[in-house]
Amino acid sequence: MQTSTKLFGFLAAFFAIVGVIYVFATHGSHYGDGLEWVGVMGFFFLAGMMGMVSYYNHLTKKSIGASPDDDPHGEISAYEGEYGVFAPHSWMPLWVGLAATVAVIGFAVGWWLFFIAAFFGVVALVGWVFEAFHGEHSL
Amino acid sequence: MAAVGTIVWLSSELMFFAGLFAILFTIRALEPAIFAERTAMLNIPFAAFNTLLLVISSVWCQLGVLKAEHGQKARTGSLLNIGGWGMREWYILTYIFGAVFVAGQVFEYATLFSEGVSIASDPWGSVFFLTTGLHGIHVTGGLIAFLLIIARTYTSHTYSHHQRVGAVVTSYYWHFVDVVWIGLFFAIYILK
Repeated sequence: MQTSTKLFGFLAAFFAIVGVIYVFATHGSHYGDGLEWVGVMGFFFLAGMMGMVSYYNHLTKKSIGASPDDDPHGEISAYEGEYGVFAPHSWMPLWVGLAATVAVIGFAVGWWLFFIAAFFGVVALVGWVFEAFHGEHSL
Repeated sequence: MAAVGTIVWLSSELMFFAGLFAILFTIRALEPAIFAERTAMLNIPFAAFNTLLLVISSVWCQLGVLKAEHGQKARTGSLLNIGGWGMREWYILTYIFGAVFVAGQVFEYATLFSEGVSIASDPWGSVFFLTTGLHGIHVTGGLIAFLLIIARTYTSHTYSHHQRVGAVVTSYYWHFVDVVWIGLFFAIYILK
């Protein structure tokens, strides 16, 4: 994770510097107060995004220690192991997705459709969240 | 893996809000007069207090995360013994503070509507209701996530690693939404 922290930290600095250059490059443009704000915001938020990922990697490094990608002689296979628990089968994501689809169609069709879809969405979401977290064999 | 996925998703969320901030500052630059006029209509002490509530809720959330990481799902002593609170109690407190924040937003919207400002009334109205509205939807989504995480502590027998991860990634999201609000608060209420 050390490598990723540095990589994303470098990108954060890069986009911050490009953002400052962009401020000077577009200064005095024909936009209202003389700045092209879309690019300015874009670059500084990109810097923030890279910084956030870098900081997350830093925290992960602190909690789990060195990982195979910090070893110059590391092999990809060293990363094998458990990646997390995934439900072997679940129909719930399909119902959540369908309800969300109909809810968004509801924005165009009418609010009545949105609220009907929202009801099914709540049922599907609760079903999904609690599917593996109830009863005797709860995770 | 859930934590990595949450960070990847929050990265895309950050760029979503970058778009909203780009809208805000572009229209602000093009329409300085209406922005000055409308900003003067805002109740800044009220919004500042509301902001404070959201920031404090993040502190409660983090205290809940500390308890989750120590594997303490619920309080051990009485409700008045705050030191013995578990993740559940801290998350309920976070939920209450977040819910009051959303209620404050609704109150502010109602005040602006009564003064004739809406999303369709003028450029400032469009920007204000788009940015704070989409942020408010995010806070509401976070509240729903808290409800589900709190409810999970009642349905399972044990407080497992998976439950802890769920609690921690919900806190990532909550802190993220909190930081975005601080940015929005300065951009909308403080900048003159």
